[in-house]
Amino acid sequence: MTAATRATPGVATIARLPTSRHAFTAYLGMVVFLSSWTMMFAGFFFAYALVRSHAPVWPPADQPALPLLAPGINTLVALAGSAALVLALRDMRRGERARPARWLGVAALLGATFLALQAAVWVSLWDAGLRPDGGPYASVFYGLTGIHALHVLVGVVALGALALMLRPGPGRTGELRVRLWGMYWHFVAAVWVGLYLAVYLA
Amino acid sequence: MSEPVHALSEPFELQPIHPPPKSFLRRWVFSTDHKVIARQFLWAGLLFLLLGGLLAMLIRWQWAYPGEKVPAVLGGFLFRESGGVIGPANYQTLFTSHGLIMIFFAITPILIGAFGNFLIPLQIGARDMAFPKLNMLSFWTFALSQVLVLLSFQARLGPAGAGWTTYPPLSTSVGTPGAGQSLMVAAIFVTGVATIMGSINYVTTVIRLRAPGMTYMRLPLAVWGLWLTAILNVLFVPVLGSAALLLFLDRNFGTQFFIAGAAAVRGGGDPILFQHLFWIFGHPEVYILILPAWGVVGDLVSFFARKPAFWYRGTVWSMVTVTVMSAIVYGHHMYMTGMNPLLGKGFMALTLLISVPAMVLFIDWLLTLWQGSIRTTVPMLFTLGVIFVFGLGGLTGLFLGDISLDLYLHDTMFVVGHFHLTMAAASFLASFAAIYFWFPKMFGKQLDQRLGKAHFWISVVGITLVFGGQLVAGYAGQQRRLYDPFQYQFLAHLRGLNRWTSYFAFTLAAGQLLFVWNWFATLFGKGRPAGENPWQVGTLEWTNAATPPAHHNYDVIPTVLHGPHEFADPAVRAALGRDWLGQAERAPGPREASR
Repeated sequence: MTAATRATPGVATIARLPTSRHAFTAYLGMVVFLSSWTMMFAGFFFAYALVRSHAPVWPPADQPALPLLAPGINTLVALAGSAALVLALRDMRRGERARPARWLGVAALLGATFLALQAAVWVSLWDAGLRPDGGPYASVFYGLTGIHALHVLVGVVALGALALMLRPGPGRTGELRVRLWGMYWHFVAAVWVGLYLAVYLA
Repeated sequence: MSEPVHALSEPFELQPIHPPPKSFLRRWVFSTDHKVIARQFLWAGLLFLLLGGLLAMLIRWQWAYPGEKVPAVLGGFLFRESGGVIGPANYQTLFTSHGLIMIFFAITPILIGAFGNFLIPLQIGARDMAFPKLNMLSFWTFALSQVLVLLSFQARLGPAGAGWTTYPPLSTSVGTPGAGQSLMVAAIFVTGVATIMGSINYVTTVIRLRAPGMTYMRLPLAVWGLWLTAILNVLFVPVLGSAALLLFLDRNFGTQFFIAGAAAVRGGGDPILFQHLFWIFGHPEVYILILPAWGVVGDLVSFFARKPAFWYRGTVWSMVTVTVMSAIVYGHHMYMTGMNPLLGKGFMALTLLISVPAMVLFIDWLLTLWQGSIRTTVPMLFTLGVIFVFGLGGLTGLFLGDISLDLYLHDTMFVVGHFHLTMAAASFLASFAAIYFWFPKMFGKQLDQRLGKAHFWISVVGITLVFGGQLVAGYAGQQRRLYDPFQYQFLAHLRGLNRWTSYFAFTLAAGQLLFVWNWFATLFGKGRPAGENPWQVGTLEWTNAATPPAHHNYDVIPTVLHGPHEFADPAVRAALGRDWLGQAERAPGPREASR
């Protein structure tokens, strides 16, 4: 350890506490997994870009434009979920007893809200006549948001389960789980921001 | 004080020794032991290798005797509706299933699943993978994908028939209706998930669990090959996953990512999009299949030439360069799809450039052999076989990488011959080099060497003649995938060539029965005991672990002092009376610590 970190104990405890070597191995595995999944979503975005570059008009004249407000709110919801998970991890590292589980519950609820809003968007567009077989525009919309929503669903279930299982008290495993699922959620939220910018706004 | 070399790897206290599980289920079925999982992958892969080989024989039958009854019970059993004759639709499904099964469900599980699992922890001096449960899940996910493949054969309207590349529009529900193709696409996705799980383990394990002193430049080349393969798998299998998922949506949920033309109501998607996604994965994939083979070859030439590998670092960096470059050459599969000529030229330049590091590897192997005291054991013979067929395949690759020649050779049997020599035959022979070499470590017995030599000669001569025949047929203009090539007048004279190629193929296949016999007779019969270090080499699994290794591999995690190829050191010979030194063995006499 360098002299600088030893001189400032506050910095040292925050930097050193959470990463045991096992935890770092797990963290590294998660990073590898998420880079892999990033490549999968890169494939989807590539597909979207190529299909759209061929389209003369986007969206096609007779098909409904995508709403901006509800998905925009959803962007904030996803990011708020991320923030809740950051807070959960922070409180855990501080040794708080009840609050981490509460933050996890908040994140899971935010995820459920996201799914509900997304479902509302699907229903409204379905009613407006947009069906998956309605050409590439509809394919991109339903395909990409659908695959993303599946990832959100996994996150909601996992975070909900974590919130229920998390017992107050010290223990590294719980913290590691929160950290790793937090990374997963940040990833899902980041993909959503990309989706919102590319599919809804662009 | 500066950190020691192994600061990044976990100290051994963090790899506790667990007693082996007691129950049969936990020990042999849902095992988290990397050695058991390796054997599971080996069995699963070898079984599908047989299946894929059988399909290949049926294809060869069709090219020798198009429209004639498949002999013996086989024809009546497999092609009942058509009276034992391979019909055009059956034929499509044969070459499709053959390609997909061999690549994803035979070679991948053998080279990467079995040997990746077996070698990585043992050769780096770890007690198991970083994530043993994930490892178990990886195998069972893979087994599920194999079940999906088998189910696809039962589907109404037959199994997948759109070629191994699964190009739309043929692979959409318009071109190939029926559940068979969908099941195969699902199987590809599921096996991709299994591969990613395994690869996460491999990448992390090599980074984190190397024994003290096992620096990157002391890793056996096999581990380097497997590790680089795992990195490619992690980054590019998901791209195939995205293509497979979108195709699955197109086939079953009415989306139109790839459907175009009359089938699409509104403009439609783009079939070429699939080719991009497929080859962004597909070109790294051929290196995924060959990198472990290169690694094994790099180690084995040194082991059996009884010399240190020539320019170890050069070999390593060449493999790294190929790994990086493999991501930026995929366009050479698409010269004929209306690609911008300038882009095509860029891909051509990169493609030809990638042969430079491959050549460095090749020269390193040859110079390792140079003036070595070569021992022609069975694994060594297979290793030399890999070098030979890969050389042939590599040279034919230069033809195909060149746009002007590819215009003529594209989609001919020349391509088929080329990729079989490189990624199929070379990785096939390397699989057997690895099996013959590590079988004693896996099972504690030695495969019969005479049968092994016969197996080798039939294999390598057969492969050369079969795929050489394909190169010639392709050069003469025979397109691949033709149901009956000889109905075209300009190909009619190739009937004899094709028939002879088929005879060689049948011989090649029959020769594999020697291995099947050897495998079962050794495993379940008597079998010669392997001894602790039958090949007299110095890597950790032979010097520091029991044969077969204990559940926890190493009683004491070894401290590594040397690279993997410590041969022919006069000081060692004088002191110990042998020509090799273990990686964790202290060299006799005064000598610098790191070599």
